[in-house]
Amino acid sequence: MTTPVAPALPTPATGGSREAPVRRRRARPSPSERRERNAALRFISPWIVGFVVFTAWPILYSAYLSLTDYDVINDPTFVGLDNYREMAQDPKVALSLWNTLVYTVVQVPLYTVVALALALLLNQAARSAGFFRTAFFIPKMTPPVAVGVLLLLLFNGQYGIVNEVLSWVGIQGPSWTTDQDWIKPGLVLISLWTVGSAVIILLAALRNVPNDLYDAARVDGAGFWRRTRAVTVPMISGALFFVVVINTIAGFQMFTEAYSAYFGAGNSTYRNDTALFYVIYLFQEGFQELHMGYASALAWLLFVVIMLVTVVQLVVSRRLVYYEGEQR
Amino acid sequence: MTTAPSFPRPAVSGAGAATDPAAGTPETLGPPPPARPAPSARGPGRRWLRAVVLAALVLATVAFVYPLLWLLSASFKPRAEVFDNRLVPRTFTLDNYVTVWQEAPLALWLGNTVVVTVLAAGLVTVSSALVAWGFAFFRFRGRGPLFGLVLATMMLPGAVTMIPTFLIWNQLGLVGTNVPLWAGNLFASAFYVFLLRQFFLGLPREPFEAARLDGANNWQMFWRIAVPLCRPALVLTFLFEAQASWTDLMRPLIYLQDSSTFTIPRGLKALIDQFGPGGESQWEVVVTASVITTLPMILLFFLGQRHFVEGVATTGSKG
Amino acid sequence: MVRRRGAAAAGTSMVVAALALTSCAQGTGDEGADVDFSADGSPSGELSVMGFGTGDEIGEVRYDRATQDLEGVDVRLAEGELDIQAFLSAVASGNPPDLVYANRDQIGTFASRDAILPLDECVDAEGVDLDAFVDTAVEQVTFDGSVYGIPEFNQVQVTMANADLLSAAGLTVDDVNGSDRDAVTAANEALMRTAGGTLSVIGFDSKLPEFLPLWAKAAGADLLSEDGRTAQLDAPEVVEALEWAVGIYDAQGGFPAVKTYRDSADFFGAGNQFATGVLGAMPMEQWYINVLNESSPDAPMAFDAVRTPGGDAIAFASGSAWAVPRGSENPAAACRFARLMTETDAWVQAAQARADARAQDGLVFTGVLTGNEEADEQIRADLVPDDAPQPWQDAIDAMYEANDATFALPANPADNEFETAWQDAVNRVLNGQQEPADALAQAQDEAQQALDDAWARWDEED
Repeated sequence: MTTPVAPALPTPATGGSREAPVRRRRARPSPSERRERNAALRFISPWIVGFVVFTAWPILYSAYLSLTDYDVINDPTFVGLDNYREMAQDPKVALSLWNTLVYTVVQVPLYTVVALALALLLNQAARSAGFFRTAFFIPKMTPPVAVGVLLLLLFNGQYGIVNEVLSWVGIQGPSWTTDQDWIKPGLVLISLWTVGSAVIILLAALRNVPNDLYDAARVDGAGFWRRTRAVTVPMISGALFFVVVINTIAGFQMFTEAYSAYFGAGNSTYRNDTALFYVIYLFQEGFQELHMGYASALAWLLFVVIMLVTVVQLVVSRRLVYYEGEQR
Repeated sequence: MTTAPSFPRPAVSGAGAATDPAAGTPETLGPPPPARPAPSARGPGRRWLRAVVLAALVLATVAFVYPLLWLLSASFKPRAEVFDNRLVPRTFTLDNYVTVWQEAPLALWLGNTVVVTVLAAGLVTVSSALVAWGFAFFRFRGRGPLFGLVLATMMLPGAVTMIPTFLIWNQLGLVGTNVPLWAGNLFASAFYVFLLRQFFLGLPREPFEAARLDGANNWQMFWRIAVPLCRPALVLTFLFEAQASWTDLMRPLIYLQDSSTFTIPRGLKALIDQFGPGGESQWEVVVTASVITTLPMILLFFLGQRHFVEGVATTGSKG
Repeated sequence: MVRRRGAAAAGTSMVVAALALTSCAQGTGDEGADVDFSADGSPSGELSVMGFGTGDEIGEVRYDRATQDLEGVDVRLAEGELDIQAFLSAVASGNPPDLVYANRDQIGTFASRDAILPLDECVDAEGVDLDAFVDTAVEQVTFDGSVYGIPEFNQVQVTMANADLLSAAGLTVDDVNGSDRDAVTAANEALMRTAGGTLSVIGFDSKLPEFLPLWAKAAGADLLSEDGRTAQLDAPEVVEALEWAVGIYDAQGGFPAVKTYRDSADFFGAGNQFATGVLGAMPMEQWYINVLNESSPDAPMAFDAVRTPGGDAIAFASGSAWAVPRGSENPAAACRFARLMTETDAWVQAAQARADARAQDGLVFTGVLTGNEEADEQIRADLVPDDAPQPWQDAIDAMYEANDATFALPANPADNEFETAWQDAVNRVLNGQQEPADALAQAQDEAQQALDDAWARWDEED
């Protein structure tokens, strides 16, 4: 990790700006360096405290808990790797992991493509872009619980507007909210409703693509799709990558919309396996069944999975993502 | 412990920083570059294209805005008509709002949510600004790695620390109160630290040099100069976190048990349970409560529209 | 490397502090503290109640009466149905409500988790007459000889049908009361209607997953052995019952289609499914009679008990119970409140209030099943007419007949997990994910596992 290039701000010690810092390893920090460091740490101390108490300690503690049986009411009992063994055999772990994976694998590309399509459209619209951009963004402000409500209502198999619209083009829509094959697709579709923020990101990236590249491509006789593939996508690949990574991580942690619509006190008899996402299962095990030890083990599995996926994405990005100024 | 904003957060450093030279260069954050003028209408082919684009955008807009309009309109319909999908209610009634107000302590819930949101957003703005300033203004050995650690924590899935954090609050006897919903924000949030640091790095030198000559100390330079100059960024932080805090369900589910302490999303969930498909199928109540839950966020958006849109664009471009 | 001395020292001291904070990962439950249920004189202080809402006059009248008697106590209701997750986490965090109103089939799990207290002392102190309650109700909340809940309400099933639709199809209520399964299947086909590919009239609703125990018992099978230790979910009668009940849905296009249609109905209002003629018949809890009577008194109804092949009435009893959570701050007031809400007098008064309200509206008082036998008898004798206009007289008769013929799942310390196991199995079958035999076999394993674990813990503690 490189130290960032000199900030534009003067340092208190010298009162002036420096150019690129010279990093020399010195035996001990000079008094002025120490002063500066202590001053900095004073400002940073809230984060450090928070990190220790709410991040570092919980990580360690969670690792410990995952080796115990703990229901909060009684003391924890050490059980070694039992939780992990149980996880390996628990059909709901496999099920919820599968549900989450399927959802994410379908949702992320679809979401990105839709966002890109809308951004491309907006890019062509110039003056009126602002109005449309606002319209696309507003749904993002809807609280996810309300999104869950909208899912149940708009996608209702019998009366929902979605099936109504589908019937205009002759398709008989399925029961999105009760048919086990269509519940996840329903969740994917409604996630597309909040695509607005990604649209804005991609639009900003599109606008940064220099015009001359397009002109050059056009002179070479490239048609629209060719231009898009050869110029647009590489030039905005940074932003695309960003959207993909963020949404993947979010997808793996899908909770609120599905929980509001399909779980909770009112739904206890109609539990639906296909909407059991990993974090929902974790939440149930931890806070409903009070199997805190088991839930901690589940949390660690999630952590590992997300880390793996993110690392893979980062590795892939080195090959695919193009940053201006790089030699390719 | 911080509220995860629902907006996309910048990618982690590490590999990202190494390959992205932009991460190292401080950039002054200004408004997004002016829109490139659309390709001029060269001939009838272009015009046709523009018409198609416009039509597609209009269609998409309808799809995006319709659900909210549907929700609003349904809240004014009696139960039998909730599902009739007419945009303008056949029978316009305010009964639902009365019913919902009677069935649930909405005023209480709204009040709770406002308190939690203001506290959470306010605290995180202040604390993140402090921390961001620490990283931006000073130079010290280990600054890079430490900041890298900050960025790394952004990648941590909340689920991993969820349980121990609950146990900590439990030990402190604060489960059942709304303190866990905002007190974590006393300790800044990596996402906003990142954002605000970018802003601070873009500040000009002169005011600080002048202040230094006048004998100002670090705190004064932060509070008297940096903060006022960065107001838009602070407002942005406040708005983002307000939205995240208002709409959060997970934490109220974990920490709030007595319905009088509920925040509005938690309350809405309780109403769904009671009046929704598993309960009494009184959809009009659920719909109305949804409107009441969503409306403040829409208002917030219109108030801070510029900030939201710019802020989101910025997070993406810095990623 | 990152931090030097000063900062490092600060860092480590913070870590130590944090460790100290949570190093004691103790259980928060107090260790068998003596709970005092007897308040000498009148209890005072606060009483927070979770899971109860006053709803209608039956609840309100008793509630007013109870709070009046508990003058010194500030009673607070946290309305809304009990959310198990909220309740258990409240107990875990040492912040439980003082009194909780739960389903009787949740009491076992709560008891075995040590989340609620045995109420024997309470019963003694308040002089609660357990004999006055319906036997099955008390059995459901008794473990190891100790009572863990004070029963309230009894719910039984009654067959309800749309008389017009029946006669139009040449059927009678006998064809849909379950006594002849084939007849029900045939009736279902005769009564259902589709319009443009979607369901427009539900023929018969076999009410899965909740009513599986009913269908199983009608065929003579118990889901759980009498001692509450052995699951019997994969018994052939149970599998058959499930297959039949699922078949009813399949004939109508599958459970999802029926549920979707059902979800959008105006269940509690004047536009309910019977009034609008979109439902043929279904078994339903008896309190719905009251709803129908109130919101659509002119709907063409037909009622009967749910019957076994032998023609006898049968009903699967369920209901609620008052329980005192561990850590309750006012057990004395809680106990008294529970007694006040469920004593015979309270019920009679409440029923009187409802009967009067009905008379005012020119409607029939169709009775109420209180879970308290004494009260039931008195109410029936004094307030319930035996010459009510049809179909309501049939409804009343059916209800009381069912009330005398109830069965309940034996009490067991894993009742929540047990229920989850078989309900999940039914859900899987309804969603087409598994065949009945496989689903129930899986449920059998899961349920037996849960039962064994819970009983082991329970037996240990003795």
